[in-house]
Amino acid sequence: MWGRVLARAAVMLVIVLWTMFAAGPFLWVATISLRTTSEFMAAPYALPETWRFDKFATAWTGSGYDTYFTNSILVVFSAVAIVTAVGAMAAHALARYRFPGNRLVYLLIFSTIVLPPQITVIALFQTLAKLGLYDTRVGLTLVYAAVQLPLTVYILESFFARIPADLFDAARIDGYSEWATFWKVAFPVAMPAIATVVILNTILLWNEFLYAVVLIADDARRTLPLGIQKFMGDQLEDYGMIATGLMIAIVPVVLIYAIFSEKLIQGMTAGAVK
Amino acid sequence: MTSPRERPAWGAIVPFLLPATVFYLGLTAYPVIRTVWNSVHEVLPRREAYVGGAHYVELWADDTFWRAVRNTVTWALVAPFLEVSIALLLALALYARVPAARILRIAWFTPVLMSYVVVGIVWMWIYNYDWGAANAILRAVGLGHWAQPWLGTTDTALPALIVVTTWMWTGFNMVVLLAALHALPTEVIEAAELDRCGWGAKLTRVMVPLILPTILNLLVLSFVGKMKIFDLVWITTKGGPLWSTETVSTYVYKRAFEWSTFDLGYPSAIATVWFVIVMSFVAVLTWMVRRQQKLEY
Amino acid sequence: MTPRRAMPGCALAAVLAAAALAAPAASQEITLWSHWAAEQPKRQFIEEAIRRFEAAHPGVTVRATWYEKNALYAALRTALRAGQGPDVFYAEPDQVEYVQNGFLLDLSQGIDWANVEPWAREIWTHGGKPYGLPLEAWTVELYVNTRLLSELGWQMPANLQFTHGQLLEIVRKARERNIVPISAGVGDRPFPGAFLTHETLLMRLGRVDYGRLLKGEIRWDDPRVVESLRAVRALVEARAFPPGVATLQLGQSHVYFHTNPGTVFFPMGSWYTSRAFNPPDQGGQPADFPLGILRMPAPDNAACPTCRTIAVGGSYVINAASRHPDKAKAFLNAFTTPEMGALWLQNVMVQTGIKADVGMVTGPRAGYFRDLAAANEGSEYFFGIPLQILQGRARDTFTQVVNTAFISGQVTVEEVVRQMNAAMGAR
Repeated sequence: MWGRVLARAAVMLVIVLWTMFAAGPFLWVATISLRTTSEFMAAPYALPETWRFDKFATAWTGSGYDTYFTNSILVVFSAVAIVTAVGAMAAHALARYRFPGNRLVYLLIFSTIVLPPQITVIALFQTLAKLGLYDTRVGLTLVYAAVQLPLTVYILESFFARIPADLFDAARIDGYSEWATFWKVAFPVAMPAIATVVILNTILLWNEFLYAVVLIADDARRTLPLGIQKFMGDQLEDYGMIATGLMIAIVPVVLIYAIFSEKLIQGMTAGAVK
Repeated sequence: MTSPRERPAWGAIVPFLLPATVFYLGLTAYPVIRTVWNSVHEVLPRREAYVGGAHYVELWADDTFWRAVRNTVTWALVAPFLEVSIALLLALALYARVPAARILRIAWFTPVLMSYVVVGIVWMWIYNYDWGAANAILRAVGLGHWAQPWLGTTDTALPALIVVTTWMWTGFNMVVLLAALHALPTEVIEAAELDRCGWGAKLTRVMVPLILPTILNLLVLSFVGKMKIFDLVWITTKGGPLWSTETVSTYVYKRAFEWSTFDLGYPSAIATVWFVIVMSFVAVLTWMVRRQQKLEY
Repeated sequence: MTPRRAMPGCALAAVLAAAALAAPAASQEITLWSHWAAEQPKRQFIEEAIRRFEAAHPGVTVRATWYEKNALYAALRTALRAGQGPDVFYAEPDQVEYVQNGFLLDLSQGIDWANVEPWAREIWTHGGKPYGLPLEAWTVELYVNTRLLSELGWQMPANLQFTHGQLLEIVRKARERNIVPISAGVGDRPFPGAFLTHETLLMRLGRVDYGRLLKGEIRWDDPRVVESLRAVRALVEARAFPPGVATLQLGQSHVYFHTNPGTVFFPMGSWYTSRAFNPPDQGGQPADFPLGILRMPAPDNAACPTCRTIAVGGSYVINAASRHPDKAKAFLNAFTTPEMGALWLQNVMVQTGIKADVGMVTGPRAGYFRDLAAANEGSEYFFGIPLQILQGRARDTFTQVVNTAFISGQVTVEEVVRQMNAAMGAR
């Protein structure tokens, strides 16, 4: 009996400690974001005496965040839509059909997951410049789709491969074309996995920095991570304001996750990331 | 369980694969091939000259490169182990049905939702010598003499950054492991309980072996991520002090963009060598994972 | 913005709009990519130049994009390589690779060089041709909190220069009273930690031999070099720098000097003003801060105690691939007038490569310029900090070893010598 209680206490201790460690930095930044820099420097770990929510309005209006937000949403959502469609089609073909070179194609796509992006970004830039897509949101969108393609195919292929063949046989007997089979049978069945890659890709691309730095030049087309960096530069040593800027960047993603986390978990429980 | 793959039906395969192939060839394969081609050339904006293996010979004797390799491999071996083992511990804790599990899960996952730009800034504050949380805690518990500029000392900078990636990614690994645990067939767990297995035995003999493929997959994913790590180092230490946090990616970037030369040949050679090394590691690891999965079926 | 100020802008916009309507085909756009997104005084100065240029050249507009330095460099490297990029962009004279690869337009013709300081033009000259318009120039200064100094029982020396021995005494005295003696920020910059070391080397060796040291013609185990390094090492061992110096960032090091906790000295480029003269809640110094300016300390047996470094910083260059080279040159000429030089001094509070009369600076900061001039009187200048002269591995090693590890006490003099010799030989 006592052993049980002790074990329970140990588990709770681990949980409490890790929660403090995991959430502490975020909460600390949250308190700083509501205080001025002089208040912060006087007592770095105090709670806000006055809750200065107006700092968020100042940060928002004084920084062009609205432009960066719109750009991020446009680029990231289009890229995720493209990569999901393109990736799912490829994963389906690789998982379902036996053809010479199937595994080679899979391996080639997979191998690029490990590619360090710092070096290929040059050749990418040259390609985009040739196509007249440099410094355009379309160009960045296409690159984002290409970058996330390997991971998307990798995750979806393993899921599609486990859809029972009987399902497809039944579809064929019902007179579905291959195309319709994919969109009406395979895609809906794979929804948990699709949801997972959509959420993962959204989070990863929302925070992407390197490609954006190199492929976007004009301020009107910059995405949020570039905006954050610019904002940091503008504020010099104004920690209070930097923290406000950080919170503006963090909160939407955390909200998206909080709302959709059940979907993500479902996808994973169904074996999407296995 | 795997569905048998069907005969070639090129009429269906080609349209399905075509868009991905176009993306892949244009925006992934071409840059890669170009990189390999670059690595045997001196690549200046208006002059490209074939130099054969010269860059590779130079690389062999490049101390900074080897130091970067040592740092990166250390990171890539230590971090996955830390992340996945702590994550497993946490996942088991949540699996044991503690209160407020959903909130905990979100709290633990939050770090991975932040970009490295944000994470880098926050942790530079935490490691700040004068008012950072790390030293503040040490001083509060009377260990003030341990206070350090954690990112500024050659001995502590790399471990301090490994702590950051562990902080960031453990939650992600935990969520995946928890999902895997919940996906376990209940009959197996019940059977183990009927057999009056102890909690420890149930854990080591039944649950962990069953989710081993997931664990291995996560180790591979984390390993690959650390072999490429760039943003965090770039924002916090830029590889310093004294190259103690230099990684292969930061060195490639420095050679390509920071050193006063436009030559892309040498950095491309580094990237090529690194690509081959990482690929062989991953091939071996994936082979192990696949073998494990075969055993399962 | 007050209505009165807005008026000329509106009038100008109306004129431009009319011009654009009248002759849409004739309108030309010059693109400018510039650093200084965050440095308001410089940015306002450039924007003023753009306004004047556009008013004088109807039908021509300048579209400026403001960057942080690192983002700008990354964008430029890729854009230039693909034969694209803006007409005019920001560059610094150490970026010789731009010249070597033919990216910059030769500015021999069409620029009003009579109004540019000859030495500043010289720094941008390669193979007899100038390639950049030197806007920003700066010197290495030793800023001092005169109140703290007198509390420690010392006065500003008459010649505005301590010896290394005196500095060491002040450092020890400050430490006894729990005051950090010297602030420095090297966490995010590759050069401020080296100021004290390279100025010591320059004074000990003299201009010629110091230049040879940086070219690799004198080895780092030369006794004069070792002696200079030992002088700096003595300060490090006396705990002259903050314990967290290796990660202290440039902006933080300013606050560390003038506000919290406050140090006696601060070796810094003369662009100290661009941060320190901000309002205090934006990282600026307190309103009543007792700022003094000294020369760097002279080492024993100095070959040239009056030697010091002057450097050209932010400059504008023209893309060789520009489709409007003449218009771009006309734009650069918007800067080369004595009035614009004076406006730069007045606004930015840093020296400039444009000929300008310091006497034309008026207002509350005029005193600062008098102090700066006093500290620079009779100086013999060496052009460029080591980072602008060294390249490749030598530059990287200098950054890691001399800028950071040496002043944070993580390497010995012997180790510095060994690493620098190896790196200079590797080039």
